[in-house]
Amino acid sequence: MPEPEIKDENENKEEAEPRVYELGYLLVPTISEENVPASYGNLKELVASFSGTLITDEIPKKVALAYIMQKTLANVRNKFNTAYFGWVKFQMNADKVLELKKKLDLHPDLIRFLILKTVKENTIAAKRFVGRDSAYRKTPSARKTEGEEAVPINKEEIDKEIDAMVAV
Amino acid sequence: MKQDYFSANNIKYIDYKDIEILKKFLNPSGKIVSHKRTGVTAKNQRALAGAIKHARFLGLLPFVAK
Repeated sequence: MPEPEIKDENENKEEAEPRVYELGYLLVPTISEENVPASYGNLKELVASFSGTLITDEIPKKVALAYIMQKTLANVRNKFNTAYFGWVKFQMNADKVLELKKKLDLHPDLIRFLILKTVKENTIAAKRFVGRDSAYRKTPSARKTEGEEAVPINKEEIDKEIDAMVAV
Repeated sequence: MKQDYFSANNIKYIDYKDIEILKKFLNPSGKIVSHKRTGVTAKNQRALAGAIKHARFLGLLPFVAK
C-alpha cells in the first residue's frame, strides 16, 4: 500500500518543476531546402504536443558532418556526409521527455538526435578574442597605450575645429 | 596557457554547439588536449570533455581527424 503513495509524491515533484532540456538533431539531407522549415515546424509542434514550452531554437542549417553516418530507412542503409543541424530548447516534465525520446526514435527524418539537460540562459558564448593566447595579446594592448599619447594632440585640434563649427 | 579559458571569458555553461571554442581544445588528430596543456580547471575540463563528446556524436567534431 505505501508504494503508490511514494509514486504520487514523485509525480507531484516532477510536475512542480519542469526541467530545461535541449534537443539537438540532424535532419536527413534528402529533404529539399524548401521543406526544411516545414519539418522544423513539425518538430517544434511535436515538442509542444508533449506539454513542452519552447524557449529558444535555431532553424536547421546544412552542415558538413565530421564523419559519415548511417541510417536505415525502409531496409536500405543510407550513408550521409551532410545534414541539417538544428536545435530546440524547451521546458518539460521529466517523464514527458522519455515519451518524446521514444517518439523521436521512430522519426524518419532524423539521422540522430541528442536530448540534454541545460540552462534557460543563452549558452552560446559571444565571440571574444581574449583567452587562450591572452598572454600574447597583452603586449599589443600595451603598445596601443603608447600610441594613445599622440591622440591628445589631435583632440585639441578637433576641439578647435568643433569650436569653429559652432561659431559658424 | 596558464589561466582557465572558461573562467577568463566568463563562460559558465560549456555548450556542445560552440565548436569554435571546442576546437581549441583538440589536437590536430582530434583528441582532447589534457588539462595539463590547456590549464582548464578540473571541473571545466570535465564539462569540456562532455561537450566535445556530444559534439562528436552529432558530427560537429570528428572522432578522428585525418
